[in-house]
Amino acid sequence: MTSSSSPSRKALSKIACNRLQKELTEWQLSPPAGFKHKVSDNLQRWVIEVTGAAGTLYAGETYQLQVDFPEHYPMEAPQVIFLNPAPMHPHIYSNGHICLDILYDSWSPAMTVSSVCISILSMLSSSPAKQRPADNDRYVRNCRNGRSPKETRWWFHDDTV
Amino acid sequence: MDSDVEMNAASDEEEVMDDEDYYDYCYSDMGDDDGGDGSDAEDMVAGDYDEGLEAEGSDEVVSRREQTFAVLNEQDISERQGEDISKVTAVLSIAREEACVLLHHYRWNISKLSDEWFADEEKVRHTVGLLFTGNGHPPSRKASSITLTCGICFEGYSSETMSSAGCAHFYCHECWEGYISAAISGGPGCLSLRCPDPSCGAMILQGMINKLAKAEDKEKYARFLLRAYVEGSKMTKWCPAPDCTCAVEFVGDENYDVLCNCKFSFCWNCTEEAHRPVNCETVSKWILKNSAESENMNWILANSKPCPKCKRPIEKNQGCMHMTCTPPCKFEFCWLCLGAWSDHGERTGGFYACNRYESAKKEGAYDETEARRERAKNSLERYMHYYERWASNQASRQKAQADLLKAEREQLAKLTDIFGIPETQLKFIIEAWSQIIECRRVLKWTYAYGYYLDDKVKSEFFEYLQGEAESGLERLHQCAEKDLQTFLPSLKPDTNETTVPSVSDFGDFRVKLAGLTSVTRNYFENLVRALEAGLEDVHATGQGAATTSAATSSKKGGTKPKKKQHAKPSSDHSDDGWPCERCTFLNLPSVDVCSVCEKSRY
Repeated sequence: MTSSSSPSRKALSKIACNRLQKELTEWQLSPPAGFKHKVSDNLQRWVIEVTGAAGTLYAGETYQLQVDFPEHYPMEAPQVIFLNPAPMHPHIYSNGHICLDILYDSWSPAMTVSSVCISILSMLSSSPAKQRPADNDRYVRNCRNGRSPKETRWWFHDDTV
Repeated sequence: MDSDVEMNAASDEEEVMDDEDYYDYCYSDMGDDDGGDGSDAEDMVAGDYDEGLEAEGSDEVVSRREQTFAVLNEQDISERQGEDISKVTAVLSIAREEACVLLHHYRWNISKLSDEWFADEEKVRHTVGLLFTGNGHPPSRKASSITLTCGICFEGYSSETMSSAGCAHFYCHECWEGYISAAISGGPGCLSLRCPDPSCGAMILQGMINKLAKAEDKEKYARFLLRAYVEGSKMTKWCPAPDCTCAVEFVGDENYDVLCNCKFSFCWNCTEEAHRPVNCETVSKWILKNSAESENMNWILANSKPCPKCKRPIEKNQGCMHMTCTPPCKFEFCWLCLGAWSDHGERTGGFYACNRYESAKKEGAYDETEARRERAKNSLERYMHYYERWASNQASRQKAQADLLKAEREQLAKLTDIFGIPETQLKFIIEAWSQIIECRRVLKWTYAYGYYLDDKVKSEFFEYLQGEAESGLERLHQCAEKDLQTFLPSLKPDTNETTVPSVSDFGDFRVKLAGLTSVTRNYFENLVRALEAGLEDVHATGQGAATTSAATSSKKGGTKPKKKQHAKPSSDHSDDGWPCERCTFLNLPSVDVCSVCEKSRY
C-alpha cells in the first residue's frame, strides 16, 4: 500500500517531541468522540480508529487513519491518510488520500491531531453519497511509488462536504 | 501625417540653431590642437553634422518621443513604495505598517483602497484582518505576570514573554519565530500572514515580524514586500533581462518600447525584446512560427554560403551585408541575394532591392502560369526569405553591439593618441554604432511584419521604404565597420610603408559617418512612422497612385516621395547649401554631388 512510505523520515525535533507528548496526554485524558488511538511506542506515526457517526452514511463502520509527523511539526502539517480500505467519499481517493484544505495549505500550528480528526469526521458525516472523486483513477495512477498527498497541488472547490 | 513630418523637420532645425555656439567653440579648439590642418569649409560642415546628432540623447536613437516610462532601481522602488505608504498613512490616519498591508491587499491602488475604506472601514478592516485596537499591541493586562499556555507548543509561559497579533491568542516567542519562518520560506504569501489560530484572522504586521523573526527572515520579508510593489502594481514590470534588478514604470498608452538601465530594450506590453514598429501580435505569431520551423531553418542557415563567383565557401564574420571574397577572387557580393554588390548602389546604376522577395523573378522573366506555379511551389521558401533576413539582422545587431563595446573600450583611445582629438569629440563614432544597433533591431522586426503583410499595394510601399532604409543602413554599417579600420593601427606589419591617414582624412571620415548616421535615422524614422500608421498613406484618396508611382519610379532612380519633408529646410538654407534630395544631407553650395550618398544635385 502506498501508505507505508512516509515523507522524508527525519526524526522529530525536540519541539515536535514535546508537543506530541502533550497532545498524546491530552488525548488520553479526553479523546475526541468516535476516535481511538491504537497504542504503540512510535510517537512519529499514530494510527487512529474512526467510527462513523450515528445517523450518517457511515454509521457503525470503522476505518483507520494514519498520521505521520514531520520533523518540524507543528510548523509543518502532519500527513494524514486512510489505511486500506478507505471510506467511499467524494473527497477521499481509493489510495486513502484526503482532499481537505487544513491538511495542506490551511494548516496552522495552532491545530492539533484532535482538531484534525474532528474535521475529518465532520467531512464524512456531511457526505451526500458513498462515491469516489470523479478523477479517482487518474489521481491514484499518478500517485504510484508512494507519493505523499502533501506533494499534490490540491484544488479546494467544494465547501459543502 | 504630412504636417507631422513638417513640424518634426522644423523643430530639428531649431535645435540645430540653438546649439550652434557651443559647437563652434568645440571646433576652434580642435583646430588649435592639430595646427590648423583642416580647411575652414571642412570644419563648418563637420560642425553642422555634430549639431544634428547632439541635439538628442543617445539613448533614443531612432525615436524622439517623450519618455513615457521610468526605470526604477531597487532604491527608487523602495522610495516610491515608501511614498505610497506615507500617503495612505496620512489620508487614513493609520500606522505605516497598517497602510502597508492594506496597500498590499489592494495591489497598491491607493484610490481603490481609500474609496473602499471610506465607504465601509469596518468591512475593509475585517477582510484584511486589522483590529480597531491595533495589531501587535496586546490588550493591556493589570497583573503583569500571569502564566499562559502557548497555543502551539502547549508550554506555560509568563505573559510577558509571549505575544499576540493584538488578539487574544498568545504564543511564546520561540513558536512565533518558527511560525514566521515557515511562512516566509513558503514564499510571498507571508505578506498576508495571519494569527495562527484558525478562527482569528488578525493580520501579522511588519513590526511584529521585525520583533520576532530571525534576521535573515526579516530581510527576506522586506524583499518580498519590495517585489510585491512591482508585481502588484499595474504600472510596473520587472526588466526581463537576466540578472537585471530594475523595474520599469510605464505611463504611456502606446509605443511600449522601453530601455532599461542595463541597456536591454524590451516591449513593456509583452516583455519580448523591443519590436517597434511591429505590434505584439505579429511578434508572438512570428516567434511561434520560428520555433515551429527552426529545425528546418537551422541546417539550411547554419552552413556557410559559396561565393557566387568562385564557389569557395564563405562564412559571414562581419555585420554588414557587403561581402568581399578572399583574394584572388575578391568578388564583391551581397550576402542576402548573392548578387554582385555593384548592382546595389546608385553609383553604378543599380538599386538596393534585395529586401524584396522574388523581385528579380517577377520582372517579366516568367510568364503568368509559371509565376503562379512559382508562388505555389513552396510556402517554406517564402518564409525562409523573411526568416533569413530577420536572423541576419539579429546577428548583425549582436556583432554591432560587440563593436560598440570595442570602440568604447579601445578604439577611441587609440584614435585620440593618433590624431590628438579628445575622446569627447569622437562621440560621433559611438552614435553611429548606437544608430546601427537600433536600426538593425527595427529592420529585423520589419521582416516579421513583411511576412504577414498580404496587401499587395501596401507591400510595394512597405518594401520601398524598407529597401531605402536598409540600403542606408548598409552604407552606414560599412562605413563604421570598414572605413574606420583605415585610421586604426593595422596589425599587418607590411602596411607600414603606406601613408598614414592625415587628420584631414579623418575629418572627411567624420563628416561621412556623421552624415550617414543622420541620414539613416531619417530613413528609419520614415519607415517606423509609416508602419505605425499602418501604411495608410497608400490608400488615402489621390495619394495611392502618386505614392505607388513614386515607389516604382524610384527603382530607376527617379524622384522620391520624401521631397515634401525637406521643402522647408531647403528654403531656409538656400544661401548655406543644398539638401540632398535622397539622403537629406545638407551639402555645401560649392559641390554638385552629395558628399554622403553621391547623388547628383540636379
